[in-house]
Amino acid sequence: MAQMVTGQVGAEGPYWDALAQGRLRLQRCTGCGVWHWPAVWRCGQCGSWDHEWVEQEFVGTVFTWNRTHHRFAGTEGLPLPYTTVLVELDGSGVRLQGLLEGPEDGLRIGARVTGRADRTPFGETSIPSIRWSLA
Amino acid sequence: MSLSLSGKTAIAGVGYRQYKRGTAPLPERGVLVRAIVDACEDAGFDPADVDGFVSYGDDKNEPVRLMPDLGTRRLNWSAQVWGGGGGGIAGTFGLAAGAILTGQAKAVVIFRALAEGNSGRLAAAVMAHHLNDHMVGVGQVAPAQVCAMRAQRMFEYHGVPRGVCEELVRASYHHGSRNPDAIGYGKELDLKAFRTARWIAEPFRLFDCSRENDGAGALLMVSAEHARDLRKKPVKLLSVAQGTERGWGDLLENDDPALYATGGFRAIKDRLYDQAGLTPADIDVVQLYENFSAQGVASLIDHGFCTYENVAEVLKFENLIAPSGKLPVNTSGGNLAHGFVHGFVTAVEAIRCLRGESPNPVPGARTSLLAGGPGAPTVSSAIFGVD
Repeated sequence: MAQMVTGQVGAEGPYWDALAQGRLRLQRCTGCGVWHWPAVWRCGQCGSWDHEWVEQEFVGTVFTWNRTHHRFAGTEGLPLPYTTVLVELDGSGVRLQGLLEGPEDGLRIGARVTGRADRTPFGETSIPSIRWSLA
Repeated sequence: MSLSLSGKTAIAGVGYRQYKRGTAPLPERGVLVRAIVDACEDAGFDPADVDGFVSYGDDKNEPVRLMPDLGTRRLNWSAQVWGGGGGGIAGTFGLAAGAILTGQAKAVVIFRALAEGNSGRLAAAVMAHHLNDHMVGVGQVAPAQVCAMRAQRMFEYHGVPRGVCEELVRASYHHGSRNPDAIGYGKELDLKAFRTARWIAEPFRLFDCSRENDGAGALLMVSAEHARDLRKKPVKLLSVAQGTERGWGDLLENDDPALYATGGFRAIKDRLYDQAGLTPADIDVVQLYENFSAQGVASLIDHGFCTYENVAEVLKFENLIAPSGKLPVNTSGGNLAHGFVHGFVTAVEAIRCLRGESPNPVPGARTSLLAGGPGAPTVSSAIFGVD
């Protein structure tokens, strides 16, 4: 499993393993087909314990965003200011956050983005995370 | 069998001590003991007879450790509401009332204490509850940032004008400027400074954010019958609701789209009003936990005081201030301008404003609504009343 810094939320280990390899995999219930995010052990909709991890494209739409100017402890690895976007993925509809890279003209809710996997420096280590760019 | 708790318990004593962050004259537990004794003296009640305690937000002061200072004879009951943020603040009243009405305790102190020297920064403690690699990896480590994401959606997608935040912040500072105990005493909000203050996390500038204080607060709750024999006018708990619903919670920003930009209170609103037999129009004054300006606005919308459509007509400065406004909010200055000890000042003022002890009285006020911490995974609110 990918090395964790502050810990994972729950059942999303395969997500981290894939992201560390530059890929995006998300959890879908094999019982009823619903996408789960955060990942679950048991599907609260149909009761199934069986899930598949499905490869997805880094493509979606900006759901919301913010731009950080204050140096909060734990963000020292990122130059200020930096913009974080929450993106609703095509296909699954799951929302994933990432840092925005490249030109920011045209940043708005509803803007189309594409992404890639990268790593964010954190202390002596780094954390796999997504970089989004305006399409 | 009727299980309603409405009107059956009352707050009989209030204690609140606040200091600039990092300057509490005693360690945290010492300040808390002072606040509890203050609350008991206010009520004319022997601190040794307090037999129950409840807090929220991961308070570190385990009640059993207070016993030697208070002279506690019996500790019959203690509890805490889940959650690291301010979402549990009003839920404490429900736990306390449940304990009293089922005979588990007779006199319960609701409290919260914070001193940076003991518990560190509140913002860091709250985030320790929620942080994970998903957030840290994208530079999201503070409550201000998490709330900024929601605020941006509320402004840009739901069309709430940003100016309503200024109206709310102005009202808080206006009240705080008239409260000798407030950090904002004697200072009206400088609008130019507000509009040009440094960015924290867009869309928030500095004065959109509450700033932490050291301090402690305590409220003494007993049965309504018992309260009649004590020194102060009883302020009854009319209703309380806590919780959430599917589509809201600590969900990695995957909340239901209709709920995402709210404060999280839609799940508890109907229970809150129905239990009291009241509607938003019946509320005389609101004490609003505003960790950030936009979340305060979202909370007022959630609680039914306005809508996305008419928010700009309702949330006007003149309308939000005592004594003349139709919807007086944060009459002591609130978290923004009175002080922020994890929101406890809003609970304190929810009681004082019905006793005639507010620095900005609302004439004839008989009901107050305490809107708890917005944006928390589980939230809570309460309504109080006087005869």
